Amino acid sequence: MTALLRRRTRTDVPDASVIRMVDVGMTYPNGKVALADVNVEIGRGDFVFLVGPSGAGKSTFIRLLIREQVPTTGRVQVAAGDLEHMRRGQVPALRRRIGIVFQDFRLLPNKTVWENVAFALDVTGTPGTTVRRRVPQLLNLVGLHEHAHHLPTQLSGGEQQRTAIARALVHDPAILIADEPTGNLDPVTSWELIQLLIQINELGTTVLMATHNQEIVNAMRRRVLALEAGHLVRDEAAAAYEREY
Amino acid sequence: MTFLRFIGFTVVRAWQGFWRNAMMSLAATATVVLMLVLLAALFIVITGLNSGLEFIESKVALTAELTDDLPDGVRDRLIADVEALPGVASVEYVSPAQAMQRLQASYRELGQELELGGSDSSIQIFASIEINLTDPNASGEVGASLDERDEVERVLTKQAEYDTLLGIINVIRTVGIVGLALVGLTVLFMIINTIRIAVYSRANEIEIMRLVGASDSFIRWPFILEGVLVGLVGAVITIIGVAAVWEPIQPAMVAIFQMPTAVSDRFLATLSILLLGVGLGVGAIGSWISVRSYLAAAR
Repeated sequence: MTALLRRRTRTDVPDASVIRMVDVGMTYPNGKVALADVNVEIGRGDFVFLVGPSGAGKSTFIRLLIREQVPTTGRVQVAAGDLEHMRRGQVPALRRRIGIVFQDFRLLPNKTVWENVAFALDVTGTPGTTVRRRVPQLLNLVGLHEHAHHLPTQLSGGEQQRTAIARALVHDPAILIADEPTGNLDPVTSWELIQLLIQINELGTTVLMATHNQEIVNAMRRRVLALEAGHLVRDEAAAAYEREY
Repeated sequence: MTFLRFIGFTVVRAWQGFWRNAMMSLAATATVVLMLVLLAALFIVITGLNSGLEFIESKVALTAELTDDLPDGVRDRLIADVEALPGVASVEYVSPAQAMQRLQASYRELGQELELGGSDSSIQIFASIEINLTDPNASGEVGASLDERDEVERVLTKQAEYDTLLGIINVIRTVGIVGLALVGLTVLFMIINTIRIAVYSRANEIEIMRLVGASDSFIRWPFILEGVLVGLVGAVITIIGVAAVWEPIQPAMVAIFQMPTAVSDRFLATLSILLLGVGLGVGAIGSWISVRSYLAAAR
């Protein structure tokens, strides 16, 4: 597995942060405030939960990190890149340093598992030899080698999410963002998926997971960022879904 | 190598896209064919009429029929005076005997024999001078100065035919260009729509491409090439069609338009290049507009 994902050094010095938000605010043209005065720093190799009710600003938080949007105020830095001054042509390189998975998997239904993963390499101009070497490795990592030639419709929800994770890891990203990855999964499958994310995190990949799953957050006891109405109301290490004290 | 991979990726994806959306692609291709057939017809007609115009221009000459029994000295002075006029290239004297020979020859070309009615014939052939011009527009002035001369019986000119043909060409050219522009716009919108439908039907795919770090080029060019493919297929079909009917068209062009250039293979080659260029251009521009507006909206 170490050959698959480059092991990164975990450190606590501020410069080692891979995500930094300073006084970030996001107000949409219709006047809705999605985020306000958010200050966050996430270190390399951290595993962080992003929690909050619907409409709290979690999706906006994620969209700012992958530069789908730019904040109306403040600064966002991801993987040492200042997103505010990033030119459009530099965005693809940023996104190769961030893997992202969604609740609805977003797989291409007419492509097999193998093709879905390979697609992410093909569209970034990766040589065929690298694709043929890399895809089986990633399918082994997520435990889908046997299903390589199955279509997404022939897979369970958990298997589809594993395919999405394999695809998110093709470029060996520094950060893996998981937006409600267990939202469509049963509890057992959800735990299997979390085990996989922990494995990936242990190799040094920063994992940011937006979730409503209280049980998982409470059991994991990792850092929790809680958003409410666009404000960061809580940032605690080894915390529960909701404040217990 | 990266560039070659990009080219390979783009070509494969464009080809897949063309057939995935086959009905729309074929409908757009059919409109391209329609436009290019009209363009080919217009090109043939305009080129033919221009060629006819050039033919008449080259023949724009004045013929001045001379009065009877003109002394040689007077005739030579007249010729010298006319040669000195601006716009005159050359002046040739045609004797009554030469004029008669020409008349007989032209009858023979039509398969008839000139009947002069024997010795009591009243047919009168004038001696004349034929004036070739360097500039067809000088015809009016040269004709006017000849009219003033006593040695000249009457002046014959082809200016009227020239003006008529020029008028016809201008009308056909204007109507053709307007018609072609309308068809061209229709084709352009058709291609824009086809590619837009292709783009929207693959919105998920594009979204994934963007999220995994595909550059705009990797997203944009397959669609542009798909539009180019529509133009290319349309152009190739039209060229094959024109080449198929070229044999019967060719003699008609020569006969109707006095267009010797139609005989050469170069004409068909020029027409093919024009059709190919317009087909590819319309395909590329249409798809570029379509993809550009979509990508501009997406970050």
